Amino acid sequence: MKKTYIFKSLSVAAVMAAAVAGSAVLTGCNDFLDQEVLGNSTDANYYDTRYKLQSALNATYDILQTDAFNNSDWRFGEALGDNVIGADEGLASHMGQLVHFRFNTSNPLILDRWKINYKGIHRANQVIANAHRVVISSNDYARYREVREILAQAKFLRAFFYFNLVKTFGGVPIRPEIETVDNLVIPRSTREECYAYIEKDLREAVIMLPNRFTGSDSGKAGAGSAAALLMKVLMYQAVPGEFSEKWEQLAEMGGYFVKGNSFTLGQMLDYPARYTDAEGNTEEWESIRKRLWFKPQELNSKSDPYEGPDTECPKLSNAYSLEYRDSYNTAITYDQQFYSHGEFCSASVFEIVFKESGDGTTGDTNEGTGIYSDFQSVESQIWADSDITQKLFESDIRKNFTIGHHETLPDLDNTEIGSGRILSLKWYIPRKDRPVYKGDSDKNRRLIRYPEVVLMYAEALNECGHGAEALEQINSNKAVVNKINNGTTLYVGGGYGYLRNQIWTERERELAFEWDRFFDIVRQGRAKECLKTFAENRSNKRGLYFREGINEVFPIPQTEIDVSNGVVTQNPGY
Amino acid sequence: MKRYIFPVIAAALALAACDDEKATQPVAVIDIDKPVLAINESMTLHFAGSADNVVVYTGDVDHDYELREQSNYGLVVNKGVMTYSYTTPGIYKVVCVATNHADAGRSLLSDTCSVFVKVIDDVTEIEKISAPQVLYDEVFATQVTDADWMLPLPRKIRYKTSTPAVSLQQKLKFYIPSVTTEITVNGELFNSNTKYNLAAPLDIVTRSNEGSVRNYRLHTLNYGEFKTFKLAGVSGKIDRTEYDYSYYEINMELPAGTDLTALVPEFTLYADNETPYIGDAVQQSGVTAVDFSSPVTYRFVTVSEADPEIKVESVCKVTVTLK
Repeated sequence: MKKTYIFKSLSVAAVMAAAVAGSAVLTGCNDFLDQEVLGNSTDANYYDTRYKLQSALNATYDILQTDAFNNSDWRFGEALGDNVIGADEGLASHMGQLVHFRFNTSNPLILDRWKINYKGIHRANQVIANAHRVVISSNDYARYREVREILAQAKFLRAFFYFNLVKTFGGVPIRPEIETVDNLVIPRSTREECYAYIEKDLREAVIMLPNRFTGSDSGKAGAGSAAALLMKVLMYQAVPGEFSEKWEQLAEMGGYFVKGNSFTLGQMLDYPARYTDAEGNTEEWESIRKRLWFKPQELNSKSDPYEGPDTECPKLSNAYSLEYRDSYNTAITYDQQFYSHGEFCSASVFEIVFKESGDGTTGDTNEGTGIYSDFQSVESQIWADSDITQKLFESDIRKNFTIGHHETLPDLDNTEIGSGRILSLKWYIPRKDRPVYKGDSDKNRRLIRYPEVVLMYAEALNECGHGAEALEQINSNKAVVNKINNGTTLYVGGGYGYLRNQIWTERERELAFEWDRFFDIVRQGRAKECLKTFAENRSNKRGLYFREGINEVFPIPQTEIDVSNGVVTQNPGY
Repeated sequence: MKRYIFPVIAAALALAACDDEKATQPVAVIDIDKPVLAINESMTLHFAGSADNVVVYTGDVDHDYELREQSNYGLVVNKGVMTYSYTTPGIYKVVCVATNHADAGRSLLSDTCSVFVKVIDDVTEIEKISAPQVLYDEVFATQVTDADWMLPLPRKIRYKTSTPAVSLQQKLKFYIPSVTTEITVNGELFNSNTKYNLAAPLDIVTRSNEGSVRNYRLHTLNYGEFKTFKLAGVSGKIDRTEYDYSYYEINMELPAGTDLTALVPEFTLYADNETPYIGDAVQQSGVTAVDFSSPVTYRFVTVSEADPEIKVESVCKVTVTLK
């Protein structure tokens, strides 16, 4: 009865009063929501110190350490090629369909490769787009240099991720450095435009970095890393057998990197040609310097260096060598280059740095990939067999750095891999480096090695008609290999085609099982031929379905076509 | 009692509705942007009907609708668009299966439609020709005109410390982007293991799967060089490089006191179609006087006997010193 009384006693006036009070409170809410949260970082104020910019750069390097990135690399770079057999080659799985070239445009492994590289690009863009916000504490030259080096590494990484995409998909969308909801759909740029974009990043990175980082900074990309990647990018743009400007540029870069020929900052940037727009307006040198965090000329004190177009690029020829020497300059063996002992050794140009988690946490918390643990398991993801290693190495001593079922490893351990399988010691973790927990290894992955720089140089020299010099370069690497067993076999001079085959042979032997074989044979224009030869010896005929003119690049993931409503176009043949 | 009536009626209606839940009839309609395709050319297929699920059997290996019970499978069409291409020529029946389902799949209705796609392979163009085993080297021919290719071969190659002769009987390799294109050489089907006699031009015919025919000629020319070369009674010897077949040197010593400014070289050549020049002046053995006080560069032009437009050049540098 009391309830009824209360309801009845509510008058119209009271309801009105409540409504007015309520609306007043709601209006007040608007103001309340508009208040800025004090003390929190926002994307507008986050990048105000170099430490914060460094943390954004660390996040970019972090992508390299993810399983998604490394798995994608061995799947595409090695498992698709003609030097390994995979555990998963059945047509019922996505991986099987991929390696048989019988996938469709929705294959998730293709999407994974797309996504992880764009994730890296997105993170690198955070650094690059926000570097100008950093406020430095003093006007010391070193303060500028510190920011410059962070920016340069982000440029190197961005170029690296784009290069991965371009060699996998052809021309891809170039994402704006600052992403907003208004520009989510970006059409594809051409392959040439993408390469020009990548080259610009790398050329700028070379002039902004020291030749190589050492000590506690080991692992950061230096000018050597950027120059080596630039050489590779040039090589991928050139076609074997067709003389072009790219081969010439690669030969010049090789002369600078390997022989120590003089190279100026202006030459590296191709200034002013690359900095002049269609209307003929050239960006001032000083403006480039400021953008790239060189100390502005007007603030330079007498003792500060000034980097002009004629200043020499950092010398690279003394920073690396073909000899196997660890970071203390002590001689090591060929296989030790790939173990903990050989991290940042004289022949290592860029590595992905992994750390053991210590508590067995596996996954993406920056420890190495599972393939590096396969010696201790019966099942491995990819392996070779004796036919493959025989064809690959013939009598070359580097064959000794592969190992089979229940054979004795260099540290007297036994392999546990399956019968008939052969793994590369480049993937091996010696007992003393072995992690407590499987799959939790700190073994660094070597991404670019100095022998590749020398072999790229050799290839460019041969393409430019300098056969004798090309021979000298391939033999410089072979001579170091010969020291392993006091061998005397060297490559022999000959015509263009003969030298080219020898360079490719040396490339294959030196860089075997480093997850780049598939892209290499595609670049050389002989993927069809190599995969056909491989397929003929395999009962499942893997590789026979490779379609020349189509499968050199993969389809743009179907989701990208769908969400862009066709703005992002598909590659021909898919 | 009265207040329970409405819920009971509502429940009864709901159950009756479940019983009646049936899939609606889908409509399968597809259109294809190009009914005739080249091999590996993309076609775009649009689904223009209405259905929840759309699958397309493209009609080639593994995707044949007639063999769907024998593990052939269709490809799912997302958002009404699919791109596809064929690797081998032929006529393919593209079948679209559109389905709607309801009642957790117990009610399933489908509709099919089909279109035919013709895939033709009409490649007759040769991308590259080479002699793949000139001793150890692969030597590439160059394309001179639409129909004419020229393969330059050295007479000898320097290899390590020897100079083996190069035969005019060579295997050939054709780079053609289609596997079904047939190649005939002088009327016979091309065989990659046959050594062809390159002394005379070869007539090459490519015939595509579609039936188009294209004619080519492969001319083989040797780089011109001196067979013998004598100055003031002294014979010169040819020095070759491993790397460049079109370049030779002759380095010779003459007795002290010889006047080098107007020597008349005596030389023989391998063939009549080779002519030595200095600059643009034709050189004749025993006739033309040459100043050898500094190194002299001879330019050889070898012209095809079958077609004077086809030629190859080489260079011989003669350096004379005095004892």
